[in-house]
Amino acid sequence: MVDQALLSLAKFLPEITLAITFCLALLVGVIFRSRPRLSMWVALLGVVVSIALTIREMGITESVFSGMIAVDPFATFFKLIVGSSAIFIFLFSLYSAEVLSTMKRLVEYSSLLVAMTLGMYLMVGATNLLMMVLSIELTGLSSYVLAGYTKEASDSSEASLKYIIYGALSTGLMLYGISILFGLTGGAMDIYAINRALVTSPVNPIALLVASLLIIAGLGYKISAVPFHFWTPDVYEGAPITITAFLSVASKAAGFAMLIRFFKIAFIDSSAVGLPAGIWITLQGFEWNKIIAILSVLTMTLGNLVAVWQNNLKRLLAYSSIAHAGYMLMGLAILSDKGIAAVLIYFVVYMFMNLGAFYVVMLVSNKTGSEDIDSYKGLGFRSPFIGVSMVIFFISLAGLPPTAGFIGKLFIFASLLDAKWIWLAVVGAINSVISLYYYVRVVRNMFLRDPDENSGPLKFSVPEIVLLLLLVVPTLLFGLYYSPIVDFANASARMLGVH
Amino acid sequence: MLESYVPIFVMIAGGVIFGVVMVKLNEWFGPHRPNDEKLSTYESGMEPIRSARERFSVKFYMVAMLFILFDIEVVFLYPWAVSFKQLGLGGFVTMAVFIFVLFLGYFYVWRKGALEWD
Amino acid sequence: MELQPYLLLSAITFVIGVVGVLSRRNAIIVFMSIELMLNSVNLSLVAFSAFLGDVTGQMLVFFAMTVAAAEAAIGLAIIISMFRNKQTVNIDDINILKW
Repeated sequence: MVDQALLSLAKFLPEITLAITFCLALLVGVIFRSRPRLSMWVALLGVVVSIALTIREMGITESVFSGMIAVDPFATFFKLIVGSSAIFIFLFSLYSAEVLSTMKRLVEYSSLLVAMTLGMYLMVGATNLLMMVLSIELTGLSSYVLAGYTKEASDSSEASLKYIIYGALSTGLMLYGISILFGLTGGAMDIYAINRALVTSPVNPIALLVASLLIIAGLGYKISAVPFHFWTPDVYEGAPITITAFLSVASKAAGFAMLIRFFKIAFIDSSAVGLPAGIWITLQGFEWNKIIAILSVLTMTLGNLVAVWQNNLKRLLAYSSIAHAGYMLMGLAILSDKGIAAVLIYFVVYMFMNLGAFYVVMLVSNKTGSEDIDSYKGLGFRSPFIGVSMVIFFISLAGLPPTAGFIGKLFIFASLLDAKWIWLAVVGAINSVISLYYYVRVVRNMFLRDPDENSGPLKFSVPEIVLLLLLVVPTLLFGLYYSPIVDFANASARMLGVH
Repeated sequence: MLESYVPIFVMIAGGVIFGVVMVKLNEWFGPHRPNDEKLSTYESGMEPIRSARERFSVKFYMVAMLFILFDIEVVFLYPWAVSFKQLGLGGFVTMAVFIFVLFLGYFYVWRKGALEWD
Repeated sequence: MELQPYLLLSAITFVIGVVGVLSRRNAIIVFMSIELMLNSVNLSLVAFSAFLGDVTGQMLVFFAMTVAAAEAAIGLAIIISMFRNKQTVNIDDINILKW
């Protein structure tokens, strides 16, 4: 058993690196108390090393720690997404007035970000109910604290309290669902064993439905799907912008990875024969993809409709990120590898455009101290480069060519039409049109309205601009030259134990 | 299955009835001569200083939080200790790492000054 | 061993917990209700585990307990920082952020 654990450790290096980095960042922080930035550099270095180690794991498909965690292309893909957004967040933090204003807590900030990244690394590979619960909790507990990081601001601690109450409630629901599933399948914790048990001996469909709904509640909270989204706008508005950006990209990615893996492995009819390659079907008498489709319609419609009324840009982006979760859920509902690959493509694109939009909000609020859409009046003239970048991100978020967002939507809709889900595609298209309205509203504010009298041009430092370019260029480039991410996503849609 | 509990229920009912009856009998037949000394709160024989319904210092919460965290980790030590022989060296190393991480947490708390009362 | 009474008790306490979270206004009581939910989950896991003669359920309970403790500790910390800001633990008073 010890030998096996040692073998597993060799496939577990990215996570170990992050765990050690977490401890080191804390230790460095309390030993060199006069230099809090040091622990941020340690944390950044640790995340970079963990990404390098993840890249080395590409192509491996293996189960480690006696079936607790899968190391497969699917997990590796999401680890890269989570890791690279963590690096972006660390770089953002170096220029965030909000974060740097509380210098003495920088140690906790950086180490908790590492802990959160570690939690997500575990989430994307978890193949056991126990591991799923623990990794969700590790991610959740670190993010609750981070959401209240600027604790002098009372909306920040309010966001944190709301976050933990909703979080704890949904974890409780999910755990209850897990306990029911555990009983139904005769004591199976491994998701492959659950699938075997469900396929060989049919169980009470009502109980299975209840259990899966409860589990969806826990995961839906992580990806902020309606009706488990109530925390999202408040937390996104109250938390520091860097954390908001991280939650909206990485946390969502990890939640999606877990949702897709769990449902695709546990709840499909793996005994079915004669299916075309890349298509799967649900368990008999339990069509969970209908539930996912309904969730996706609710999520995108509510997200887009409510976003129209927002005046705070962070809140607007919160609702827009809810809507994006809806688009991505469509890819899961159609039960095909093509749909999963489309979701993965969407995530690559979403990472760049969403992080970019939040980064611009952060830069502007650094200078103006406001996140109101009104304060963006004439931004296009006060700082043309920032204005144009924001327009690019918004065009991409709305899904128009020639940006990467268009490619993301294109593949989702193509796979929907391929699987004959016409009505869902129509709903999605209508939603895209609605979303155009509120994105254009901000753009209009930036370019078609004059700035206030006493506001001069905004100046940004060279590193800040370089960082922005790192996000703008991929958003444009992947809109034109997308075959690499498509190939990468197609190769990454493969999971351990699924043929 | 519940039948086997009948004697226990009878026992509980008997206990409650006996207790209530005795207290009430005392109340009805005993003499009532209250004075200040008798009516005051009994606090381990000390004179009560002030009302007990007051706010506690936030420091107690701090200690409570730390106590919960470090206390609950012991839950993993019990199953480990019971199956120590079967787990062998691997189990020992794993637990050593676990305790080490806990110790790091302790070190952090200590350096942060969370253990100082004032 | 009969399974039903345990599951029934667990379901009842779970529902009490959920109703408590949704209807109570004091943040501390909300957290107590969440603990009640988690403990009812533990009960049903232990019941299943004893019924099936399989200890993995009890293993999950150990972890659920520690997770619940960590959640409670962080919850308390957040409530304290909230209280220092606003001098209240009433959820209805927490209303800077809304739609």
